[in-house]
Amino acid sequence: MEHIVFGIGITALTGALATVAGAAEDTESNIGSQGDPNSQVQLAPQMGYLHRIFNKAIAGEPPAYGLWCALGAGLAWAFMAMQINAVLAIVLGCVLAVFVQGVYSTTAYVGRTASLKKFGQPVYVDILKSMTTVTMAHAFVAIFCTVTLCYLMNAALGHPFPLPLLGLLWGIALGAAGSAVGNPYYGKERQYQNQKFGAGVPIAQSGNIVRYAEAGERNSLDNGFFTAKLGGPASGVCFGLIVFLELWRTVIFEQIGAGWGAIIVGILMILIFTVIDRYIEVWARKTYGPYAAPVKEAGA
Amino acid sequence: MTAVAAKPAAGGAMNPTAMGVGFVLLIILLAICWVVAPVDSRLMMLYALIGMVVGGVLIGFGTHFVPVGGAPAAMGQAPGIATGVAMLAAGAGLAGLFGGAWAAEQGLVVAVVTGAVGGGLMMAITCMMVNFIYVFGMGIPAASGKVKVDPITGDTQPEYKSQGTEGHGLPFVSFVGGIIGGLLAGGGGTLIYLRLLDLYKATLPTMMKATESQIMPIAISAAGIFAVGMFLVNAVLTAYNITGTIEGPHDPKFKRWPRAIVASAVASALCGLVAILIVVM
Repeated sequence: MEHIVFGIGITALTGALATVAGAAEDTESNIGSQGDPNSQVQLAPQMGYLHRIFNKAIAGEPPAYGLWCALGAGLAWAFMAMQINAVLAIVLGCVLAVFVQGVYSTTAYVGRTASLKKFGQPVYVDILKSMTTVTMAHAFVAIFCTVTLCYLMNAALGHPFPLPLLGLLWGIALGAAGSAVGNPYYGKERQYQNQKFGAGVPIAQSGNIVRYAEAGERNSLDNGFFTAKLGGPASGVCFGLIVFLELWRTVIFEQIGAGWGAIIVGILMILIFTVIDRYIEVWARKTYGPYAAPVKEAGA
Repeated sequence: MTAVAAKPAAGGAMNPTAMGVGFVLLIILLAICWVVAPVDSRLMMLYALIGMVVGGVLIGFGTHFVPVGGAPAAMGQAPGIATGVAMLAAGAGLAGLFGGAWAAEQGLVVAVVTGAVGGGLMMAITCMMVNFIYVFGMGIPAASGKVKVDPITGDTQPEYKSQGTEGHGLPFVSFVGGIIGGLLAGGGGTLIYLRLLDLYKATLPTMMKATESQIMPIAISAAGIFAVGMFLVNAVLTAYNITGTIEGPHDPKFKRWPRAIVASAVASALCGLVAILIVVM
């Protein structure tokens, strides 16, 4: 019983860490335009819309976070092998991983923007200086939380995988969850704030991203400020739910029915999320209604 | 034939010669495994390789179900999840692998099913949150661009597509496709891991002249890394087959799965052979 209570406590802690990691990851990627909307930031100057948006995307979020979390976890593991305190080892490992993220961001922004020279897009040094450090700070929070939850899974819950491998797995899952949930909100809702609310961006409008703020030109800090209100927390809830429910069903129900208990609970949870999703879909259809009158099938 | 004269391959057009070559390659790789393996452990190694091929095929097939819209989905211009095919499948499958590896001691069937459910659960949560952000964050209902009626619910789709787009969000059939993809990918990844782990547990103690408990960290790490690597190989192969985006099982591109199965089987056999060779040579 004591073992299960301890497991539940660790599970709750990892869920909370994952929620913070997801929110920080999405905000970091939005400030750096690392998700799929980077295509619009790159396209805009080619369509004649010069901008001051930061763009450090040379890899998708999942592989990038897989690298940084595996690096942070690997270094922390090495420091722990040198008998350094676990908390200090994790912090040091994540700090070094964040420096790699900083180098990556700098080279990515300079490289991507320099390729737009023939379209007249300048490389802004002030953008490079102010945005890179902000993305590094957010990346540190995301990497630290992810490496810490991996450490808890390994040391406290007894998962067989070594820390660096857990860092790689959960780093990729973190990037996948953050990009899946956060990208539409940044791409459609923020970059195309000049388009109609409640409809997708018409393909003909591609590249016409919003470039001006309330005062002066918009930069990526404004974008991070905006998406941190919904896209970031939603990504955090998504990754937090994934980590928490995966651990929760295992810690509590694994001993029931020689492993089948956790499987049945997992299937039940999938069914519950299916019902919630269907409810959301039907609610949207009823509340927002169709964009056009239903098309009548010929001969129907 | 020039690129201009080449026929577009949007549907499920198959190249019988290429498929035949794929099968021959698969047989050759299995035969190499049989020949290079020590006589007393031939069956075990062949069994491990076949397990890895089956796992790879499950990943390759499962990835076709995952609704991925890429960059257009991030602008609400196309349905699906706004990220890459390989990346999303990897995220789901690796979450499944995490659960499957944890349940390894419970036996093959329980561990593979646990891995499958882990992948399915990850996709269920992600797909639900994607629709949440489309509906409550952006005020956009889900609509498919490839079918007029959702094959599962019967909901009509064209009138819910906003002007100038190919659809948006995740219609119910795409949501279900995502879960099936997560289930198959999670189960496949776990199967590869377990086959390799069993092989390494049996061969490494003799090779390294150590006890099983001493080689376990190395066996788990090596099997885990190979499983992740083979996962990415199969997910990326499928991404090439899909060419960018897919809505799910109702998308015409889904019909291309047979050729991805053959490619995944050959690639998994080659990668699996390398994973086996490190304990043979």
